[in-house]
Amino acid sequence: MKKVAVAMSGGVDSAVAALLLQQSGHETVGVTMCLGVTPAEGGRAKCCGAREIEDAGSVCRALGIRHYVVDFAADLEAKVIEPFVAEYLRGRTPNPCVACNRWLKFGSLLSKALAWGFDGLATGHYAAIESGVGGYLLKRPKDRRKDQTYFLHAIPRETLAKVLFPLAGYTKDEVRGIAERAGLPVFDKRESQDVCFMPAEGHGAFLRSRGAGIEPGEIVNLEGRVLGRHEGIACYTIGQRGGLRVSSPAPLYVLAIDATRNRLVVGGKTDLRAGGLVAGEVNRLVDAFPEEARAKIRYAHRAARCRISEERDGRLTVRFAEPQEAVAPGQSVVLYDGETVLGGGTIQEVL
Amino acid sequence: MTPIYMDYAATTPTDQRVVEAMLPCFGDIFGNPSSLHGFGQDARAAIEEARAKIASFIGAKPAEVVFTSGGTESDNFAIKGVAWANHKKGDHIITSAIEHHAVLESCRFLEKEGFKVTCLPVDSDGLVDPAEVAKAITDRTVLISIMHANNEIGTIEPIAEIGRIAKERKVYFHTDAVQTFGHLPFTVDELNVDLLSASAHKLCGPKGVGLLYIREGTRIVPFMHGGEQESGRRASTQNVPGIVGFGKAVELAAATLAEEAARLTAFRDRFIKGIFERLGGIRLNGHPTRRLPNNINLSVESIEGEGMVLSLDMLGIACSTGSACSSSSLEPSHCLLAIGLPHEFSHGSLRFSLGRYTRESDIDAVLEALPQVVGRLRAMSPLYEGKKPA
Repeated sequence: MKKVAVAMSGGVDSAVAALLLQQSGHETVGVTMCLGVTPAEGGRAKCCGAREIEDAGSVCRALGIRHYVVDFAADLEAKVIEPFVAEYLRGRTPNPCVACNRWLKFGSLLSKALAWGFDGLATGHYAAIESGVGGYLLKRPKDRRKDQTYFLHAIPRETLAKVLFPLAGYTKDEVRGIAERAGLPVFDKRESQDVCFMPAEGHGAFLRSRGAGIEPGEIVNLEGRVLGRHEGIACYTIGQRGGLRVSSPAPLYVLAIDATRNRLVVGGKTDLRAGGLVAGEVNRLVDAFPEEARAKIRYAHRAARCRISEERDGRLTVRFAEPQEAVAPGQSVVLYDGETVLGGGTIQEVL
Repeated sequence: MTPIYMDYAATTPTDQRVVEAMLPCFGDIFGNPSSLHGFGQDARAAIEEARAKIASFIGAKPAEVVFTSGGTESDNFAIKGVAWANHKKGDHIITSAIEHHAVLESCRFLEKEGFKVTCLPVDSDGLVDPAEVAKAITDRTVLISIMHANNEIGTIEPIAEIGRIAKERKVYFHTDAVQTFGHLPFTVDELNVDLLSASAHKLCGPKGVGLLYIREGTRIVPFMHGGEQESGRRASTQNVPGIVGFGKAVELAAATLAEEAARLTAFRDRFIKGIFERLGGIRLNGHPTRRLPNNINLSVESIEGEGMVLSLDMLGIACSTGSACSSSSLEPSHCLLAIGLPHEFSHGSLRFSLGRYTRESDIDAVLEALPQVVGRLRAMSPLYEGKKPA
């Protein structure tokens, strides 16, 4: 690849990604997606707000590369925020970062970058791409703690040929060190972990601010006995402990969200365990899934051994070797074979 | 490929002859023009020479030319200065929907101060109707501000006619001539204006210097306080190098004004004809004939302007778009909205503005590159099977 667009968020990772590309002789240009997301006055710096765009610009000036700011607000709204709100209202726990990677960064941004005349797109993700026998493979990066492949499982396989992850072989500490030595202005910037469009008050407040109908309802146990009232199912996540305002001798967890009856089902920790799941919106990053693999059901989850079977309707059934806690519909299940990311899907049913 | 600069409406390269004229002001002529001694007198002489040259260029008296920091300051000065000085007489200002932000925001500011502002619409070519101006005038009207030519779409407004109406009705008339000064032939009397804003960097002069023409007898309050410079109307030590450069820029522009306007008009028309031959689904924004010699403003159907600007920049061609992203969502400019551009065209505007160093081969290179860029963007389909985001 000769001319590479680097998606610059204003943070240290994408800054170093650009630096590394530049050092390896690529013609490098910074591109920042303007998402129309502005944090509240005095709020914490978030990805892609006005200050982040400024930071991305100052990094590009420090590197002596061009920087373009391009509007993606309408894409974010249509492809990430609207489905996010709809999923929550259906009682699911969506993952907007997966959607953003699929539809924006490795969707419209990549397509646009190619149309603008770039040969490919680089980002500051901690992930790796290797060329294998049958084509390119998505791999886990050197820094296991920062591994972001979970969020990347849904990107179309053919994009891998057009994408570079320059941080694949570096740890976060190394990245900060490189940034500091290079005098990049963002080397000591604190990390943003939050969803970029989410206010500090959390997703319940966000959904309300979007006029989503959030109705209080009943909290019941597995036997159907009413234990209390909830503020609206969209404010809860499966596996959540506490915040239920229900008194009980043992800690209670959210086991299930019943959107049709606007109910939360709660129970003990052992009831959280599930033997498997069914996933839809399946994306394959390899020719075919093996029968056995490891599955990650949320970002912080340790990949668990499982058996995979592909259903006629294209969905996947994943059965864990050991039951797993808090399998949440709407979250992604991501399949790994060692270092290789096989693909994944959106959890639709808990078995 | 040598880069091609086609954004002269944003700014122009400084002519080397202007740079040379300015250099003594960074050497021997360093004095403060207000000082009594010889150093000061030399500097004063330099700015007065520039003032005389510029005044004569627009048929004004030297004392009617006040140097400012640029077009934005001149607009602010004219509007706030006249409004405040005549507040006892009235509180009504007339302007148009396609004015530069320096005019519109100044009016908005005055609205908060209790003034009333009539913002006249324009037709689909961007023209203000003088009859509408006449209708809008009341006995409370103190100022009319209509731009000479629009910076985005290039439409030249019927300033002389509006000026005649203003004169008859005894209302002060200001025009923002930033895009026409040094490019179109006019005098302040031909235009019937009382106030006129101009900026040096739009005619191959330096940045940071402009002027406000103020017709003798116009009631206006000073814009800056703290000194007697510019006859007490604009305190602050003058930007001597800038003013000298401005003078030189005007001298150079005046010397070739008619030929340059004819040359650029021919280029402009060649560009427009050529692009319509090569590309479908486009429209020309602004008036087809009553337009700046150097302005080409196109809308390309269903394509975002910023993608085209970016792609062209990658090829070394610099132009601009009327809808760019800052930190909030992408919105078409107020000017494109005012001419009622259909939705499918409103995000895909491109402005090419030509100037002193534009060559015919540049026009041909852009005519070659633009259809390719548009073709690529039109063919762009997401790499996945999903629909194109709305």
